[in-house]
Amino acid sequence: MSALITITILALLLLYLGLFKAKKALLPVALIGLMVALVLSLMEWDSNAAPIFSNMMLYDRFAVAFSGITIFLTILIIALSKDYFERISSNVAEYYALILFSLAGIILMVSYHNLSMLFIGIEIMSVSLYILAGIKKRDFASNEAALKYFLMGAFSTGILLFGVTLIYGASGSFDLEGIKQYILKDPTAVSPLLYTGITLLIVGLSFKVGAAPFHFWVPDVYEGSPSLISAYMSTVVKVAGFAAFLRLIMFSFAPLQDFWIPMIIGMSVLSLLIGNVTAVYQQHFKRMLAYSSISHVGYMLFAIIALNGSSDNAVFVYAAAYSVATIIAFGVLILLQGQVGNDSFDSFNGLARKNPFLALTLTIAMLSLAGIPLTAGFIGKFMMFSKALSSYHIFLVVFAALNAMIGIFYYFKVIVAMYFKEEDRKELIVPVYFKLVLGFSALVTIALGVYPDFIASLI
Amino acid sequence: MEVQSLPVDYLPILFQMLVALGFVVLTMTITHLIGPKRKTADKLSPFEAGIEVVGNARTPVSIKYFLVAILFVLFDIEVIFMYPWAVNFREFGVEGLIEMFIFMATLLLGYIYVIKKKAIEWGD
Amino acid sequence: MSLLSILIFLPLFAGLIIVVLPSSVREGYKYVALAAVIIQVLISAYIYLHFNGNVFTGIADQNKYQLVERLPWISLNLGAMGKLQIDYFLGLDGLSMPFMLLTSVVMLVALLASWEIKINLKGYFALFLLLDTAILGVFSALDFFLFYIFYELMLMPLYFLIGIWGGVRREYAAIKFFLYTLFGSVFMLLVIIGLYFSVTDPATGYHTFNMLSMMDPKNYVEGSIFSALAHNELFGVSARLLGFIVLFIAFAIKVPIVPLHTWLPDAHVEAPTPVSIILAGILLKVGGYGILRVCVSIFPDAAIQSAWWLGLIGIVSIIYGALNALAQTDLKRLVAYSSISHMGFVLLGIASITPEGISGAMMQMISHGFLSSMLFFLVGIIYSRVHDREIPHFRGLALIMPKFSAFIMIAFFASLGLPGFSAFIAEAFSLIGAFNSESINGLLPRWMAVCGTLGILLSACYFLWTLQRMFFGETRLFGGEKWKIQLTDVNAREVTALCILTAFALVLGIMPSLAFDKMNASVLELIRLVNLK
Repeated sequence: MSALITITILALLLLYLGLFKAKKALLPVALIGLMVALVLSLMEWDSNAAPIFSNMMLYDRFAVAFSGITIFLTILIIALSKDYFERISSNVAEYYALILFSLAGIILMVSYHNLSMLFIGIEIMSVSLYILAGIKKRDFASNEAALKYFLMGAFSTGILLFGVTLIYGASGSFDLEGIKQYILKDPTAVSPLLYTGITLLIVGLSFKVGAAPFHFWVPDVYEGSPSLISAYMSTVVKVAGFAAFLRLIMFSFAPLQDFWIPMIIGMSVLSLLIGNVTAVYQQHFKRMLAYSSISHVGYMLFAIIALNGSSDNAVFVYAAAYSVATIIAFGVLILLQGQVGNDSFDSFNGLARKNPFLALTLTIAMLSLAGIPLTAGFIGKFMMFSKALSSYHIFLVVFAALNAMIGIFYYFKVIVAMYFKEEDRKELIVPVYFKLVLGFSALVTIALGVYPDFIASLI
Repeated sequence: MEVQSLPVDYLPILFQMLVALGFVVLTMTITHLIGPKRKTADKLSPFEAGIEVVGNARTPVSIKYFLVAILFVLFDIEVIFMYPWAVNFREFGVEGLIEMFIFMATLLLGYIYVIKKKAIEWGD
Repeated sequence: MSLLSILIFLPLFAGLIIVVLPSSVREGYKYVALAAVIIQVLISAYIYLHFNGNVFTGIADQNKYQLVERLPWISLNLGAMGKLQIDYFLGLDGLSMPFMLLTSVVMLVALLASWEIKINLKGYFALFLLLDTAILGVFSALDFFLFYIFYELMLMPLYFLIGIWGGVRREYAAIKFFLYTLFGSVFMLLVIIGLYFSVTDPATGYHTFNMLSMMDPKNYVEGSIFSALAHNELFGVSARLLGFIVLFIAFAIKVPIVPLHTWLPDAHVEAPTPVSIILAGILLKVGGYGILRVCVSIFPDAAIQSAWWLGLIGIVSIIYGALNALAQTDLKRLVAYSSISHMGFVLLGIASITPEGISGAMMQMISHGFLSSMLFFLVGIIYSRVHDREIPHFRGLALIMPKFSAFIMIAFFASLGLPGFSAFIAEAFSLIGAFNSESINGLLPRWMAVCGTLGILLSACYFLWTLQRMFFGETRLFGGEKWKIQLTDVNAREVTALCILTAFALVLGIMPSLAFDKMNASVLELIRLVNLK
């Protein structure tokens, strides 16, 4: 809880720092503040947490773990922002403040105990992001991204809200516990309103996490937004959306599995198929990452399909692995775009020779995304596959395994370009902050792959 | 919920909607039918306050109008929170007072920010 | 930390040293690697000498493994499914111990061949040593998860070794190799997970990845997917048979069998010489070892059920590989196809499930490890001199490279199964096993053994024909006088490597008991396990 307050105050503080022209202090203050928030949030590690604020929020292990990971990822991303916003415009403080506001919304999203809090969290997060997607005012792609994101986001929020009202209509409660009690009272005779409500909620949340068939906005928005913001959206926001999704289903709707499991399976299969197959045909790294993020949602949905007590753990590990690797990828992408001005696969040619460190970290990231053993991504996939197999979804897992093969194909394009193709190129200049973030993330990826016990049994 | 509502209970609403719609449609049709029709060039041209129209209606307007409008709405809406608080002032007690002060302080911070950013200055 | 862990992680450690060393001492990298590999050879020789084949029969009993090391590694709480228990579990028995020695020796030879590598030395030796670690790990891992990790870990270094230091079409060959192998292993992972859910550790009651527990039908959860008693069906096939087939395909891609072999010629042709040596010398054996250790041991009932098909695949590989080898004009491709043909004997021997057959298969793997390394080394010598290996471009090499020709004659004759060399013993035993199978357990018909013999005949054809085309007659070279100068005879380093390999092939041919004594008990134990069903 104190993490939420810290982040909000931090955002206001940054706004004022910007007002009083203390631009040099922005990044350090943001980083320090977030670290404080991270520590504060981890200090609330308590397995017997009770709902607070009239049952509005519940800061249980799930919430602590996911707010911890989102804050952690935000720290990594903000560390990459050194000199990034300055190139776009002079309103740097506002950008930091907006990121932090959206993070505050995310904390709400992972710790809600009441559907209205979920809605408020999603809105706080989304509104900040609509602006952030469009901060490159002179760039048409960025404008398009912002508008598209806003329209799609508003649309999905509407659907979500509609779902919430229907559920309220059926159960008479916004409270997760209340809804659960209503369903448990007689799972066979719940009101048809509730089913519609669940469907709409799932649709609304799928929009937010970018699961097919509600993924249309993902490639354009991720591609058009400034890369740093894309990194934020495809990691922190996605993790938060997924955590909100999982929390809702684990908490309240678990008894109605037979109803929503077919839906989720359909979404998972579609996400895998569309994400992977389309990613193969991409010529640009950033767009490839966007499609790959859709496919990763497909894998993460496995945890919901095979819902049980350890689903949160599986999602947590997978999300952490995916996000850290994606941050590396976006970090390299930012450098490349800034200094080469292009992100096609050809622009990676010969990178290994000139920037061995960058190439190595990016390789580790790609291997992790592809799910090669001894990287965190493998542990994530392994947990997902074993979860799905434990509930005998054999077809699904075989299908996913085939998709994992397709994944190798496009993730390796980058590796091939970097290592196997020779080209005369200039060495990219890698600032210290980038070196730290990339090196640290690569280390985390390997460490989780070799010894996943660190985080795998957290929740 | 204890009170079960059946579709038939919504019937009055349906009736009211029908009546409302019917009234609008009916009056419009009737005035259209029985009213006198004289068309002149002056009557057909768009007008505003007696001045002749010049140029396109969709000219850009200074963003300042918009900004001020949005800010007004924001601060106006915030006031809404104060009414219920004022009504329940006694029940909330000191704790409620502190909370309200925090709320007001946040608003004030926003207000200072707005002023400092020169968002409501007309200037140039 | 036991000797085994030291053996496995020594190369990794040396690799890290190379990574850390500044590039000003780049000429020193290979000596660091050489030192590590020589220590590795010494350790594995020590292990070999102290291995008691009659006591440490291994297979399904942990107490019968030597140098066992078991530490908890990953333990995840999976809620209702209990605890995910993954151990760092190593051990050696008669099936794996010979491969440790083989790996060390072949790695030494490959390292001697690496002297030709000129670019990006730091990356090369680091990856080389990482590969070494992975291979040693595969041969000694007894936890299926650990096995899988090492198995996959072999892929990455190889991918880069082929892709960066390879020939013209290296990119294609590398990704083809990678995808083929990964295709097998991804599905292998699914079966591993399925097995995990079916098997519990009798000591703790948790589900386990322990391969030894998987070999005992008593440890299977009642009604679980791979339980032998439950007779579950998946997609209309018995689940155990399906599991066996999936695992078999995963390893068979490595062996490789026809028709899953097409990555092999490409990979060999594009790979640099040392990588070819490792590929042919060790990696193909991982496939054979996997079939014995995993497929046959864990799914013995399915192995017996599909023995006929295994034998058939073996025969097809033998004949098809040999016929293809006859048709090649690229010397390296020829050797690659001969590998496919020779590995067919391994499959044939395993399919017979007789002591002779499996011993023969083991022997064939070891012998082929030495001989194919030697062949690829020899091809590499020609290639490094003139960057050409088309057979018609050479003639009468015996006159200008007498020592080289002597070695190639030894390698060719040894490979085609001349008595006195290891391949003869190996192929003879495999064929005897296949021949006896009809009378012992009725798994393989006699004609398979007859067809296998045909393979030996064909291998004689292509080897002798090549010898005649390239080495005999008057010297006529495609590159004319320039080549004549470039084609110098073998130097001291090459002689060392070749002598090591010749010595092994010869010693094993004359005294096969050196290998058989160590593994015989394990082979018998394996057969006993299979026949329990």
